[in-house]
Amino acid sequence: MSFSVNFPLFCIVGSLLTAVVSSVLGDRWARRVCMAMVSVVAVLNGVLLGYLTGLGRSVSYTMGHYPHPWGNELTLDSLEALVSVVFSLVLLLCLLGGKAQLQRDLGDRKRNLYYVMAALVQTSLLALVYTNDVFTGYVFIEICTIASCGLLMIRQIGRTTLASVRYMIFSLIGSGLFMLGVVFLYNITGHLLMPELKQTLADLWQSGLYRAPLLTGMSLITIGLAIKSGLFPFHFWMPDTYGYATPSSAGILSGLVSKGYIFLLLKLIFRAFGTQVFYGAGIHHILYLLGVIGMVVGSVSAIREDDIFRMVAYSSAAQIGYIYMGIGISPDLGVTAAVYHILTHAITKPALFLASAQLTDGAGGSKRFRELQGAAYSNWVAGLGFSVGALSMIGLPFTMGLIAKYLFARAAFQSELKMIPTLVVLGISTVLNTLYFARTILRLYNRPKRKLAKPCPVRRQIPYAVSALVLSGMNLLLGIVAQPLISMIEQGLKQF
Amino acid sequence: MNSVFLLLPVCLPIAVGLGIFFLKRHSAGLISGLAMGATLAASVLTWLLIFLCRQESFVLLHLTDALSFCFRFDSLGRFYAGIVATLWPLTVLYAFSYMAHEGHKRVFYSFFTVAYGVTLGICTAGNLITLYCFYEMLTLSTVPLVMHNLTRQAVRAARTYLAFSLGGAAFAFASVIFLVTNGAVGEFSFGGLLAGHPYERSALTWVFFLLGFFGFGVKAAVFPLHIWLPKASVAPTPVTALLHAVAVVNSGIFAVMRLVWYCYGPTLLRGSWAQNIALGFAIITMVYGAVYAVKEGHWKRRLAYSTVSNLSYMLFGILLLTPQGLEGSLLHMAFHSCMKILAFFCAGAVFHQTGREYNASLGGLGRAMPVTFTCFTISAVALTGIPPFNGFVSKWYLLTAAAECGTPMAYAGAGALLLSALLTAVYMMPNAVSGWFGRAEPGSLDTIREADWRMGLPHVVLSLGTLITGLFAQPVVQAAAAIAAGG
Amino acid sequence: MNQWLLPISVLLPMAVGAALPLLGKKSHRTLHLVVLAALLLQAVFVTWLLLLPQIELPLFAMTDTLTVSLRMDGFSKLFMAVAAYGFLAAGIFAFRYMEHSQRQESFFTFFLLSLGAMVGMALSSNLITMYLFFECLTLLSMPLVLHDRTKESIRAALKYLFYSVAGAFLALCAIFFLARYCTTLDFQAGGSLDPALAAGHETLLRVVIFLGVVGFGAKAGLYPLHGWLPTAHPVAPAPASAVLSGIITKAGVLAILRLIYFCVGPEFLIGTWVQQALLGLSLLTVFMGSMMAYREKQFKKRLAYSSVSQISYVLTGLFFMTAQSVQGGLLHVVFHACIKICLFLVAGSLIFNTGKHSVEEYHGMGKAMPKTMIGFTMASLALVGIPPFNGFVSKWYLALGALRAELPVFSWLGPVVLLISALLTAGYLLPITIHGFFPGPKESVPEKNNEGGPLMWVTISVLALLTLCSGLFARPLAQAFGAMAEALF
Repeated sequence: MSFSVNFPLFCIVGSLLTAVVSSVLGDRWARRVCMAMVSVVAVLNGVLLGYLTGLGRSVSYTMGHYPHPWGNELTLDSLEALVSVVFSLVLLLCLLGGKAQLQRDLGDRKRNLYYVMAALVQTSLLALVYTNDVFTGYVFIEICTIASCGLLMIRQIGRTTLASVRYMIFSLIGSGLFMLGVVFLYNITGHLLMPELKQTLADLWQSGLYRAPLLTGMSLITIGLAIKSGLFPFHFWMPDTYGYATPSSAGILSGLVSKGYIFLLLKLIFRAFGTQVFYGAGIHHILYLLGVIGMVVGSVSAIREDDIFRMVAYSSAAQIGYIYMGIGISPDLGVTAAVYHILTHAITKPALFLASAQLTDGAGGSKRFRELQGAAYSNWVAGLGFSVGALSMIGLPFTMGLIAKYLFARAAFQSELKMIPTLVVLGISTVLNTLYFARTILRLYNRPKRKLAKPCPVRRQIPYAVSALVLSGMNLLLGIVAQPLISMIEQGLKQF
Repeated sequence: MNSVFLLLPVCLPIAVGLGIFFLKRHSAGLISGLAMGATLAASVLTWLLIFLCRQESFVLLHLTDALSFCFRFDSLGRFYAGIVATLWPLTVLYAFSYMAHEGHKRVFYSFFTVAYGVTLGICTAGNLITLYCFYEMLTLSTVPLVMHNLTRQAVRAARTYLAFSLGGAAFAFASVIFLVTNGAVGEFSFGGLLAGHPYERSALTWVFFLLGFFGFGVKAAVFPLHIWLPKASVAPTPVTALLHAVAVVNSGIFAVMRLVWYCYGPTLLRGSWAQNIALGFAIITMVYGAVYAVKEGHWKRRLAYSTVSNLSYMLFGILLLTPQGLEGSLLHMAFHSCMKILAFFCAGAVFHQTGREYNASLGGLGRAMPVTFTCFTISAVALTGIPPFNGFVSKWYLLTAAAECGTPMAYAGAGALLLSALLTAVYMMPNAVSGWFGRAEPGSLDTIREADWRMGLPHVVLSLGTLITGLFAQPVVQAAAAIAAGG
Repeated sequence: MNQWLLPISVLLPMAVGAALPLLGKKSHRTLHLVVLAALLLQAVFVTWLLLLPQIELPLFAMTDTLTVSLRMDGFSKLFMAVAAYGFLAAGIFAFRYMEHSQRQESFFTFFLLSLGAMVGMALSSNLITMYLFFECLTLLSMPLVLHDRTKESIRAALKYLFYSVAGAFLALCAIFFLARYCTTLDFQAGGSLDPALAAGHETLLRVVIFLGVVGFGAKAGLYPLHGWLPTAHPVAPAPASAVLSGIITKAGVLAILRLIYFCVGPEFLIGTWVQQALLGLSLLTVFMGSMMAYREKQFKKRLAYSSVSQISYVLTGLFFMTAQSVQGGLLHVVFHACIKICLFLVAGSLIFNTGKHSVEEYHGMGKAMPKTMIGFTMASLALVGIPPFNGFVSKWYLALGALRAELPVFSWLGPVVLLISALLTAGYLLPITIHGFFPGPKESVPEKNNEGGPLMWVTISVLALLTLCSGLFARPLAQAFGAMAEALF
């Protein structure tokens, strides 16, 4: 089993190779290869997860046997493996569930390119999750950005071009800031590997030297990643990006890519900055504040939206706010909640995007609510998928949303200062979520205004149905029996 | 009986309800048969369990280490379950006739049956988190019932209902988590769980108590949060009758009882400003609901406002924080369910037979539908609180409790209660009077006939129930007193 | 065995009343015979009961604290007898009066039901039972008011209902507190207030007792809840007005009597602000009622205001809390019932025979309907309080009791107000007689008619004669009531 520590590297390289290979394959084979790769990645990470959980500590994986501080390293522990498993699974389900729309949106020519991009996203996500090197992190951030833009732009309508330009600009600003921050830290400490960086930073922080540049460096990195993950007030690219992309892309971008950045940030906080330094510097207060505001603003914007995709996209902005709020509360319970919510959102949001796509197809392609009236009757799987996702977003019992809410509230009680605001905002945000998600569900199950399109043939529905049912099932299962997941997260955070 | 059996009455209706929903080929007879069968079976089971089930807990699963999902059938749960299990089959019977000409029967019976299981789940919930889960599920399972006829008005009402209920629960959730994180994770225990924890008697506790009170108070229609209730009376009558006079709103009351008496604990809350604020809102609601009921011209909405007012009687009783108050509150919960569901049934029967739904249009209908109007008169008299009907008994216990309690708030509440009782006469009696004595257009009554036996039987049974539980209230009073004494 | 007579006397009229609709649309004669039989039987029953000693019968317990039980004591006999005989007289009159009315069975149904409730109220042995019958009486007598089914009659009936229910709830409030501070809710002469429990809560108790009296006073037309009387009486049929005014208002008197003398006990109230406030209210009502009657032109409304005033005579007697004043009050209960039923029947007869409602149209009526008008004159004289008519006797005792009460202001203010009110009574009743028998030279005299047949004028005459006889031979009654009143202190 100890062999499994090699899996992450295999996965990363394998994904990269898949990307290369896919570019010369035909559509169908590209898809098959890509999906097979993602499945294999999921399985391998699963094995690794089992191994690491049993091992009970984290493992440094040096590449090419160059010892640190020179070599490039990966760190493996159960939390990272867990996140990778979930990400791969969701990626697979996204590709599966959005298949029909992909065919429609892309035509026949470029579909293999789509899978190239997907494989690249997979590569960079894995790298972001596993890397132990700040600069490697930066490199894959950029790869991820480009791949994401590709996923977005590949649907060639004017809107997506505009959206991807905007996304690109924001993303590049983000990665630029990240880069600057890395430069700051590297200049002062001379390290790019996280453990060394952490050690040096801790010493420096204690001595009081270079406070300002250190703080600047950490802030720049944090802000850079916050922009890329779409924290308020940098969330304005979201609705266009998610709203007009092809559904699988929307699912991947909102559910995985932005979460990858957040996970990297968490990793940096724990491994590179050190929680004592980071939380001592007080940056988390700003994250908390922005997160809280984002929760409300995102939901309010969602309420005012008339387009189901954009509404779901704005809801993403709110959910990102939740995660940052968790990070801002405290490094233990708060971050536990944040990580749990990362998973919640990664499972829920793609389900919502995919379901919305099915529903709008059923309603003749219009995304307006008025046209969607009764759409759930033409496609009950999509109706179910959307309902489960929406209920989870609201935070109803037996979904992951409730557990996430519970974890946030539990964390809030750790902090005298943030307890009441957190709980109140959680309450308000639930009300707001209820307003727009409930409205949508009721709309979907209302009496159809006109005759709905015939349900498409069962055979073509199977991929989506599988994906929707698996996502919903995961949501419910992890919402009902949540403790194993929470324990894993807690254990993983301890190893961080 | 082992308390594992508690799962049966909870799961059976839910399973059958979902089964009805996914039924492929269906006839109306099959659906209603299934619904009635499941309801009856669950009722019988519930009554068996009320008498036979041991008072022990059964943990179904752990959501997380702190949040367990467990069932326990204590005396309060049995009391409420008794009410629900008695009234539900009657309503299903009523619905057979009422819904005979309505569409979407499958959806209706499906969710109606599911809601039954969920309500029983609320009764049997062993701790606050389980209660919370069922509480949310109750909201979800009843929304389709509220928007059943899918008119714009109904959908809007459903939306309001959802937003209020879920939003309220969100704030209640904060209170739940406050309790959970402060060690009060265990099962409900009479007298509260919070004794001796670090936040005892701090402003924080009161704030969270109030969050919980108003959160669960949404279903109990406490003053600023009552708006959904009158709106929701667009639903078909079996729904408004059962859910908005009995199951849903009483679940709110029940949750507040659990919160006050079994979680925060009366000794802790007694004398705090939180108690006074909560009492204040209950008192305002009593009068407010009654005043709006008087102003309302639509019969069912009037009854809904009346419910708003009456629910606050119960809240008032709970918040007096004396055993007598809880006793009165429990009695009113039982008796009010009986009389209000009767009133709704009558209004529904009239609407079903004649299409008339406004107070002003009832002139002389009593001569065409004597049974219905006799029953309505009984319910009106009982609601007003006139002996020997049961409404008098519960009012008596509530008011003596207020007199015993002796705080200024209790006196204010007693006054408000009497005022609201007077207003009850003002809004209930004119309908009865104009039904019996009002002028009808000549010939307009010729075509109107009494509703069939499936509506009539629940009417008569409930009227007799209203009378008999008033005349011989002692068993109910004893049960309530036992609960209030901590049994 | 005798104890079962109590529920029977309550249920007999109620059962017959409830059964009337089952008769269907048979001839009115059958209906009248049944009703007459019931009323007579009831009168016989009550007469029999009058001769029996005190009987008690616990019926059942709603809960351990709320029991329903019946008991017959002297006061029960008094009110029961007034009810039974009064309803009999009004009922006989109604046979003729209601002849042309549709829905006769509805009228007689609620007429008999009200009688049952009234008897039940008289026989109650605790506050709960009395409250029960009090509310029943309200609900069952309300349909008498809206017999015409016109919009305004329905409105008047609802007004009556709401005033009564409001009063009942005020009283209920007092009952709650008494339940806490009394040893028992059963009636005990002299009250059952527990001094140990009540110590320290006197003010609270007095407030709620005051509220309770005002609440029950709604039925008795006590200011400020008197408003329903002048609205309800004009629209109700005359026999209904007669029993409403002559008997059902006495339910309020009975309730106040029971509350003050059988639950609280007079010594708790004597000399306190409650007594003074209540006396103030009742005297104000006495004066105001007479004044309004004086100004009112519509005959039945004038009589309604007169009732407001006269019943407050009784209440004044109760509130002075001396043996004589209570004795006077009790006498006035009987005498006023007799007088006022007579007066309302006269009003009914006038309306029935001439269709005229306003007193200005009654000029010269003495020529047209001499027997009726003579009856009216006798009843008027009795109401004014001119000896040897019975009104004089009761007022005499009332004034005597007031003077004996030795209260600072009220002891002399009371008799003065009673006197002024008597003058006003003369002012609003006697001119009708005068103009009736001596119309002005230029006024047209209505044609003579048969005065509604013997059923009407005989009833009126009997009642009128009764006012005279009971005045002449008031001694046995006065003695009996005196003994009863003494026992209360």
